[in-house]
Amino acid sequence: MSQHNAAPQRLAPERPAVTHRKRMRRADLLVILSWASVAIVIALFLAEGSAPGFGDVASIFTSLGILAGLVGTNLILLMLVLAARVPVIDRTFGHDRAMAAHRKIGKPAFYLILTHAALLTIGYGIRTSSNPVTWVMDMLAINDIWLSVLALALLTVVIVTSLVAVRRRFAYEVWHLIHLLSYFAVLVAIPHQLSVGGLFADGTFQRYYWIALYVVVVALVIGYRFVEPVIVSVRHSLVVSRVEMVAPGVVSIIMKGRHIEELNAQGGQFFIWRFWTGTDWWHAHPLSMSAAPSKDTLRVTVRALGKGSRSLIDLPVGTRVWFEGPYGIFTQAARSSNRMLLVAAGIGVTPVRALIEQARVAPGEATVILRGPGDQPPYLWQEMLDVCTAKGAQVFLDEGPRPRHTESWQSADAVGKGFSLGAYSKHLLDTDLYVCGPSRWADLVIADARNHGIKEHQIHVERFDW
Amino acid sequence: MRVRATIGAVVASGSILMIGWDIGLANMQAASTVDTSANSAGAATQAAAAAPATAPATDAASSGTSAAAAAAAPVPAGAADGTYNGSSVNTSYGSVQVAVVISGGKISDVKALKLTDQGGRSVSISAQAAPMLRDEVLSAQSAKVSSIGGATYTSSGYLKSLQAALDSANFTG
Repeated sequence: MSQHNAAPQRLAPERPAVTHRKRMRRADLLVILSWASVAIVIALFLAEGSAPGFGDVASIFTSLGILAGLVGTNLILLMLVLAARVPVIDRTFGHDRAMAAHRKIGKPAFYLILTHAALLTIGYGIRTSSNPVTWVMDMLAINDIWLSVLALALLTVVIVTSLVAVRRRFAYEVWHLIHLLSYFAVLVAIPHQLSVGGLFADGTFQRYYWIALYVVVVALVIGYRFVEPVIVSVRHSLVVSRVEMVAPGVVSIIMKGRHIEELNAQGGQFFIWRFWTGTDWWHAHPLSMSAAPSKDTLRVTVRALGKGSRSLIDLPVGTRVWFEGPYGIFTQAARSSNRMLLVAAGIGVTPVRALIEQARVAPGEATVILRGPGDQPPYLWQEMLDVCTAKGAQVFLDEGPRPRHTESWQSADAVGKGFSLGAYSKHLLDTDLYVCGPSRWADLVIADARNHGIKEHQIHVERFDW
Repeated sequence: MRVRATIGAVVASGSILMIGWDIGLANMQAASTVDTSANSAGAATQAAAAAPATAPATDAASSGTSAAAAAAAPVPAGAADGTYNGSSVNTSYGSVQVAVVISGGKISDVKALKLTDQGGRSVSISAQAAPMLRDEVLSAQSAKVSSIGGATYTSSGYLKSLQAALDSANFTG
């Protein structure tokens, strides 16, 4: 018996490290590919003999302007791909990191496009006249340029509404609708690239490269953002089968469908749900599973925070459900070591609860810390205890109000006793840390972990705000 | 891991850029050899060899005083005086055709026989670009000049037709 058990246990330690190495290799390859795509468009431009060159002032402006436009466009296409929920990107970086990269590229791409417009107006203008007013007029007189001006205007709207300060003023759905204008911006900019852009002249290499690039990006966006969600939604025909009260204002929604196991959804992943009720269908709800999926059921647990999620409390049984997903790597797939430390606050317990249910850990290798105000037991508390008992995982409860004078992820009581993450795990440097809760709180947990010398690849976060 | 990605990205991007730069440099040298080779027979033949590769215009399509061209062929200095029509080159905005006037072995004038005419904008762009292209060609004494920004189709048609005319004139610079 002991002999029988020893083999899988000795094998088990290898697995997280191996999957982690593979994932990192994939990540590096995708990063290199992204940079190389920028280099390729510059190289194709340089290789073109009939390009304006850098011989005189006008040519320098024109060439740099074209380069800015090429690189900017390439970055925007990259942003579309990052947001397209392409499976290999999601499995490698996770949805949140892909979106963080998407946001990071946004401003440089926009500035490059602005530079492109300015430099080319000057570059073309110097050749024709000395009056800057006529430069702009001449520019606008060129074929299809008005379309590119429209594209720039749309892009400006998209970028400005995405600035953190501005974005907060909009409901998510409104913001998202505005954000979809970026697709139009990209499409409307194409005619001027074909007619004015010298790089798309008949028979040149660039022409075919860029056409191929556009085709691939459009296919990825249409395929994974629009077609695939409809197909899986129809195929699995999910309906709400039960709504259970978990606590005041918190419900579990149990949905039944066909072939759920084929989704291969992992505990810790989330879906973007659409419940087809008369009033709520236009809300997209990103919610994590709160239990591992079964053959025919999926479960989410939701706290009625916003206007949108309040209507989920009395969702009628039988409501049809469409979904996109599963997404994210707040899962087994992200592990790099054998030990797990899972820290959750409030409703953030849901993905942790689903994750621990599927975790491949030996007794004693997993630890769960739940943080709550203490006025009531944590959500899904009894389930959590049962699952952790079955896995041989330790559970800690840190309840009570926040400390008044310092910022901490812990309760005032725990801070007073001098606790930190290190108090819960002796092997922090050989542990994967999973954090789920409000953004600010999660940051505090991560800061604590970094103080203990934990590496970035050991940290996995799911934030509960957008 | 991040280090590996960074090194990989730098190496990959660097090599791609260098290849692009190299090809571009080769293309530019091919073009500039034509510009400056009026007195060098060796460079002239080299440029002539490079010309067909980069100018896809066909001799068959070009018309003109071919007898004069044939007679001029043995003269190393270049083409005989005369007016040579270039081929008609189709673009998305209509066909373009030019004629070149050679006098004293030099390009003395380029006449636009037909310019892009589809769409009002296109006509005004052509009208604006043609004199600029003519000036560039006269000063470079070659069809290997950069195209005019905003008039890409006109430029490429104009220069292809011109190259065909120069080929039929046996003009090598």
